[in-house]
Amino acid sequence: MPIEKSDNRFIVPIGPQHPALKEPGHFEFTVDGEIVTAASVRLGYVHRGIEKGAEERTWTQNLYLMERICGICSHIHATAFAQGVEKLAGVEAPPRARAIRQVFCELERIHSHMLWLGVAAHEGGFDAMFMYSWRDREIVMDMLEMLSGNRVHYSANLLGGVKYDITPEMITRMQPGLDYLEERLRHYLEVINGDEIFISRTRGIGTMTREQAQRLGAVGPTARASNYAYDVRIDAPYAAYAEFPVRMIVAEEGDLHARFVVRILETLESIRVLREIYAALPESELTARVPRRIPAGETISRVEAPRGELFYFIASSGGDKPERVRVRTPSLCNWGTVITLAVGHKLADMPMILSGIDPCFSCNDRLVTVARNQQTPLIWSWADLRNHGIEYYR
Amino acid sequence: MNLSLHPLIMLLVFPGGLFLLASGLVFQWADRKLMARFQNRVGPRFMQPLADVVKLLAKEEIIPQGVHRGLFIALPVFALASALTAALYVPLFGINPSFSFRGDLVVTIYLLSVLTISLGLAGANSIDRFSLVGATRTMTQLFSYEAPFMLALIEPALVAQSWQISKINAFAGETTWLILAQPIGFVVALVGLMGKLELPPFDAPEAETEIVAGALTEYSGRGFALFRLGKDIELVIGLTLVAAFYLGGIANLLEFVLKTGGLLLVMALLQTAFARLRIDQTVGLWWRVGALMGLVQLLAIMVGVYIRQNMW
Repeated sequence: MPIEKSDNRFIVPIGPQHPALKEPGHFEFTVDGEIVTAASVRLGYVHRGIEKGAEERTWTQNLYLMERICGICSHIHATAFAQGVEKLAGVEAPPRARAIRQVFCELERIHSHMLWLGVAAHEGGFDAMFMYSWRDREIVMDMLEMLSGNRVHYSANLLGGVKYDITPEMITRMQPGLDYLEERLRHYLEVINGDEIFISRTRGIGTMTREQAQRLGAVGPTARASNYAYDVRIDAPYAAYAEFPVRMIVAEEGDLHARFVVRILETLESIRVLREIYAALPESELTARVPRRIPAGETISRVEAPRGELFYFIASSGGDKPERVRVRTPSLCNWGTVITLAVGHKLADMPMILSGIDPCFSCNDRLVTVARNQQTPLIWSWADLRNHGIEYYR
Repeated sequence: MNLSLHPLIMLLVFPGGLFLLASGLVFQWADRKLMARFQNRVGPRFMQPLADVVKLLAKEEIIPQGVHRGLFIALPVFALASALTAALYVPLFGINPSFSFRGDLVVTIYLLSVLTISLGLAGANSIDRFSLVGATRTMTQLFSYEAPFMLALIEPALVAQSWQISKINAFAGETTWLILAQPIGFVVALVGLMGKLELPPFDAPEAETEIVAGALTEYSGRGFALFRLGKDIELVIGLTLVAAFYLGGIANLLEFVLKTGGLLLVMALLQTAFARLRIDQTVGLWWRVGALMGLVQLLAIMVGVYIRQNMW
């Protein structure tokens, strides 16, 4: 069989189906021996059309749709949406509801970071860490189940408040779990700081400077590991973060090791703030009334998802359905860093650099069609584009 | 322990052949189970390795485009055959080797390497990119651990003044355990065995998160089953050799089970405890540390032997 040879480059394809990927994405690493000389990414395998779907549903229905954008950070999407809608409607959720929202946010952060810890360790071939961190993660999953009855899609949010109350008995039952988690996380911190082989696989790998992080638009723990102090929870507090503030966790090094440290320290910080909230949960109603039709207007809503800043743009035309919901998830901001950092590293480092940003594929896939064979280059005005969009989806 | 059986039976049923295959599967199960327990998992059932082999043998073997058909089919057979042959010179199950001659240690070491070379060739034979990267890594790793591993196996031979495995085994049974006299050699031999079998942390040649299954990516069905069996048997042989040389020899079945089992326990623990090394780190480790340690041990032995011969 003749082997087609386009040029002399040796490209290792990773994905769309590959053992390293838990979700489909396509990466092409051009390698020279083991050294990566170029990298490219192609996304879009799990585009689900949620933004368009949101325009067909009522405000309340959308809350459930948004929660399903991500299977790991489900609550934070619903929170971002609910807060945006509340802002449009001119309603503020009662203090207790906001505190309970924050409880769910932080529990979700703990489970997301522990999941990531396992996945990232597995990518580096450290399966013992993977198994242990996922076992310990079950504790926080049990807590979420106790609070809401669900392990993944808690659906704790309502427009104008939350669905579930947290009773003193629940708090008592969660305390031993939190203590155990804290102990385990300190142990993991010791492991990643002490294990020679693990350090040799992570220290100095994928180093991103503060300037690079800023230029590439990195967000979340990926940016904070490069000493870029930016956290929506602190810079623009939402939910009850003004009453129960979290501390900013940053690291200087900017390498993979720093990303491990930042995420584990953030998890410990989440446990600390959870204890604080449990000790002083404000007393109030759980919901405020939100009208069925939301007044016309536009708003943005920003929250700090476990992976970084999550951004919602919500436009209402005064009806019972949104005019437009635009979601920008943190993974999308961080892709650029992977492609940039990959060059010059070894092929063996790619899975860890890739998972270092904690990528979530399905939540950042957008559909873009590039018409390459167009005869005349068209310059479209905003109105043309909008009309084309309406016609396209009709 | 000596056994007088018809040579054909010794070759095909016991201790070679069928019995050897079965023990390879048992060792694979024990390794997987121990590792699973260390990782807080349940692990496979006892019959799982056998079920895997039966399933793989029953499956259609897909010969991909762009490979040399003859090589693709022959290499797994060749690999398994070399592993099975190597077993004939090793005191398996505490029984004296079925066949033995002066210098069989060198032949055994050579036969054990044939499996790895077959693996590398099988990967290089394919046009699959994961296989090619895997084959390169397999070969690179072969060149890194082979010399220290050989040194570690030759050192007991030097002390025993024989290149015959059965004689070294008998010598090791008479003196104090060589692990006490040559601790460095023991460590190099055990870790070298892990490198040879591409076990974690030396599993870069088949790192699933990077290159799927490395050199064996294109293998399915029969070829894959034979390669797996070959590796299982190499595990048995390797453990037997290390136990016979460094842990005071293997004289009977009980000693065989206890000593190889103990080694397997240590190996499973080592497999669990570390993250995967990059291939450049593997090479660096072996040449900077492994080979140096092996040489230091060799030097110490040569001085020791010289002193003993000249002083007494």
